[in-house]
Amino acid sequence: MRNLLNFLYRFRTFGFFLLLEAVCAWLIISYNQRVNASFLNSSNFLAANINLAASNTSDYLSLSRVNEQLLKENTFLRNELARIVLDSTHVQKDSIQQFEYIQTKVISNTFQRSQNYFTLNAGSGSGLEPGMGIISSSGVVGRIKSVSQNFATGISLLHRNLMISSSIKRSNTLCTVQWDGASPYEAELKFIPRHIPLIEGDSIVTSGYNAVFPSGIFIGTISSFELDQKDAFYQAKVKLGVDFTSLDYAYVIKNNLAVEQDSLETQTLMNE
Amino acid sequence: MIRINYIRQVIHLFVFLILQIPLINKFILFDKAFGFFYLGFILFLPVGLNRNLTMIIGFLSGLVIDVFSNTPGIHAAATVLITFVKDYWYSFAIGEDEEPNLSWNDLKGWGSVKFLLPLITLHHTIIFVLENNGFTEFVILMNKILLSSAYTFITVFSLSLLLAPTERK
Repeated sequence: MRNLLNFLYRFRTFGFFLLLEAVCAWLIISYNQRVNASFLNSSNFLAANINLAASNTSDYLSLSRVNEQLLKENTFLRNELARIVLDSTHVQKDSIQQFEYIQTKVISNTFQRSQNYFTLNAGSGSGLEPGMGIISSSGVVGRIKSVSQNFATGISLLHRNLMISSSIKRSNTLCTVQWDGASPYEAELKFIPRHIPLIEGDSIVTSGYNAVFPSGIFIGTISSFELDQKDAFYQAKVKLGVDFTSLDYAYVIKNNLAVEQDSLETQTLMNE
Repeated sequence: MIRINYIRQVIHLFVFLILQIPLINKFILFDKAFGFFYLGFILFLPVGLNRNLTMIIGFLSGLVIDVFSNTPGIHAAATVLITFVKDYWYSFAIGEDEEPNLSWNDLKGWGSVKFLLPLITLHHTIIFVLENNGFTEFVILMNKILLSSAYTFITVFSLSLLLAPTERK
């Protein structure tokens, strides 16, 4: 017993070292597993406010680019509106509006790391919840990971763990977009069966087969693809529509029927 | 009992750690080289300070950086390891036993390379491998590690040179 105590005493520093490393390992693992993981990220009050101050000071430098972006989006929306008015028989008259868009500003963003996150200046106070989808004027941006009262942290599309159910617009083939960690401008396109003919420049849009993104939201265009003799699926790359190196404004998608849709789907799965 | 110049440590805290926080996502060159110069604060902690205390300081500073970069645990794991091996490495590379007020004057140019660069490289290797979940995309990973280590080393080296006390003879 005495020997044991002596031993422990002699190696107390090393033991303490192991303890701290174990705490770190626990932090890393738990952050990767749970959705709304912890307060230890950029949505916490102090971190987000410092990021906000930093973003406010550098905002003026990007004003002209933001202006141009907004102008483009405006034109697009006006065209869309004109088309809908012309085509008014196709306007859906739902009893509830299924999707709502909440406008937010990106106050900090990374794109060079192998797991990228960004911080938004809206939180649970504006109705944001973990798991909601985020888009910008030029396509899908990511999903919300955790929220605080006034801020939210989002998983960027440039994160290996994020898979987005998508489809090829031309042929309606279901596929999955996932980032491979190489370039912030490209992602991998997975699970396209080999009998589907592909064309470079095909648009990839969200499939709408889950409650996160509505269908038909632009993700990117096919930039390259190849098909080996023995592969069951294509190896293809998507050029992303969103320029993650300059992310300014984003819209969070609130699906008012998400709970209903999810519970129905899980119920169906359980009944099988 | 070692005599620590607390004012010097506080200056290090501000110049290295506090200054890094708003720059954590901005201090990046060519999309590959990440400057984690907060490491200077940890590397210039007194040699010979109680190792448990050093590790706690390392853990907390790593955690602060983690909060701002959305990587809970990754920076902390690396800084704890650095604080654990730092004193051994100092006596191995530089040779003297204790240096309560470590600064550029004690290391000089070559000493900085010998003492700082291996520890910085070790720290960056851990961070990027953990963040990358292993060794996939090996070439990009090595690029990041080497370029970032060089970048951080140059930053820490110049900052410590600037902060070095004027020598009295």
